[in-house]
Amino acid sequence: MRTLVSAPSALLVAALLLAGCATGSPDPAATAPPSATAPLTAAPSNAGSPTGTAGPFSATDIAWLQLTVAMADRLLPVLDLVPGRTTDPAWRRLATQVEATHRANLDRSRRLLNDSGGPTTNPHEGHDMPGMITAEELTSLRSATGTSFQRLLAGHLRAHLTQAVRIATAEQRGGVHPGTIALAAAVVRNGADDLARLDRLHPPNGRPAGQAA
Amino acid sequence: MDRAAPLSGIPRRLRLATAIGALLALLGTYVFATTTRADADPGVNVIRVAEFPADCTYSHRLPDDPIIFPGLPGASHMHSFFGSTVTNAHTTLPDLVSSPTTCNPRTDVSSYWVPTLYNNNVPVEPTIVTFYYLGEGVRADVVAATQPIPQGLRIVAGNAKAAGPNESIARWSCLHAGQVPPSKNFVTCPAGTMMESYLDFPQCWNGRDLDSPDHKSHMAYPVNQACPSTHPVHVPKLRQVLRYPVNGNPALFRLASGPGYTMHGDFFNAWPVAEMARRVQDCIRPVIKCGHDGRPI
Repeated sequence: MRTLVSAPSALLVAALLLAGCATGSPDPAATAPPSATAPLTAAPSNAGSPTGTAGPFSATDIAWLQLTVAMADRLLPVLDLVPGRTTDPAWRRLATQVEATHRANLDRSRRLLNDSGGPTTNPHEGHDMPGMITAEELTSLRSATGTSFQRLLAGHLRAHLTQAVRIATAEQRGGVHPGTIALAAAVVRNGADDLARLDRLHPPNGRPAGQAA
Repeated sequence: MDRAAPLSGIPRRLRLATAIGALLALLGTYVFATTTRADADPGVNVIRVAEFPADCTYSHRLPDDPIIFPGLPGASHMHSFFGSTVTNAHTTLPDLVSSPTTCNPRTDVSSYWVPTLYNNNVPVEPTIVTFYYLGEGVRADVVAATQPIPQGLRIVAGNAKAAGPNESIARWSCLHAGQVPPSKNFVTCPAGTMMESYLDFPQCWNGRDLDSPDHKSHMAYPVNQACPSTHPVHVPKLRQVLRYPVNGNPALFRLASGPGYTMHGDFFNAWPVAEMARRVQDCIRPVIKCGHDGRPI
């Protein structure tokens, strides 16, 4: 289910391998630019291929990395607001903690995207996806302070972390690239920890702490 | 009197010209009908429009997108799916080929999906859903050289991230209310009519990739009535037409992706190769309007 195993995909895999190491090949498939084939190189049989020492990336790996970058890009400006909107040290600590893990994971995501040969631009720029704070919500946050800020922040943070854990879990199950799967495991672990901290600060309505996804 | 003769002569010449014109028209009709019969079943007066349709009613909703977010259930905004009844985040071509479908004809097991429309936060599904496959927007010789859409090809149309009407190719209008000007955003349709969405997919293929990293660059729209050299293979143009059972003030309408101008469509082709090829051969290339069975109407 998770790989694209049609004959054309196999051709594309071959095109990527050839384009990566050969020039002037008579095979017309070799003229395919690597960037046009990267998300389709889903065949696990290519482990150890010359496309990279850590194995190939699947379409799922690349889609998850792109979405993870896009979600982190959207969350960081929210966390930057925290010191100016609340003096509560517990909330400031939480924001610092969440920001640290997100910056670290964002760096890893960008490096992996670069390794994948896929586009490193954010394909979801300006797109409101599940778990992402919207421009209107960010405006509301900017005009709130104290407990009303904390309440809004808790809602957005919970939505973000819940969605991040949900899709990272899917990447763990459906991904192919070992380094990307390892990052997804870290996102799930960090997300669960952050959600537990958030639940202690601001318990969710009628939900037991830590039941994120 | 000098001018009388010419004046009286003009009507005579006009009558003569009209008679000759009528003869030519008759002759033209004969040649036209003969040509038509040569292309299709003998004795059938076909309609000279390159078209075959699939009507695919609503199947299901999921926050999934097997093109943009393959393998990542829940990663997308809410989509409404038409055609294949099995599509989810994990769907690949073999899943579609063996799947049930909501389409007429039943042979179309392709998957089509769009962002869900909400009215006051209640999902609304279109009750009339037609996917037209067309040979139009390019020169006649390009239509005549149309190739079948390859099985497994994925095409996206529209701009889910459009920040305004200028970044959109969406088209909203009213069924049975042509006086309402079409718009890239939702329109106010009169009582008793339906709001409808038109979306044209790109019809020029690079001849090589069934998908691309941005899910767009393997396809292109025609330029100057022909396919650009980067995307030389002309395939039928998919036109998605959705009729929603809503009208009136659109203030409470929204798509899962945002305002009306964020309308987009995704297509995952799973037509049986022979059925697609037959329709291209019998309907698109000879410019004949076909029904759901792929036979001339």
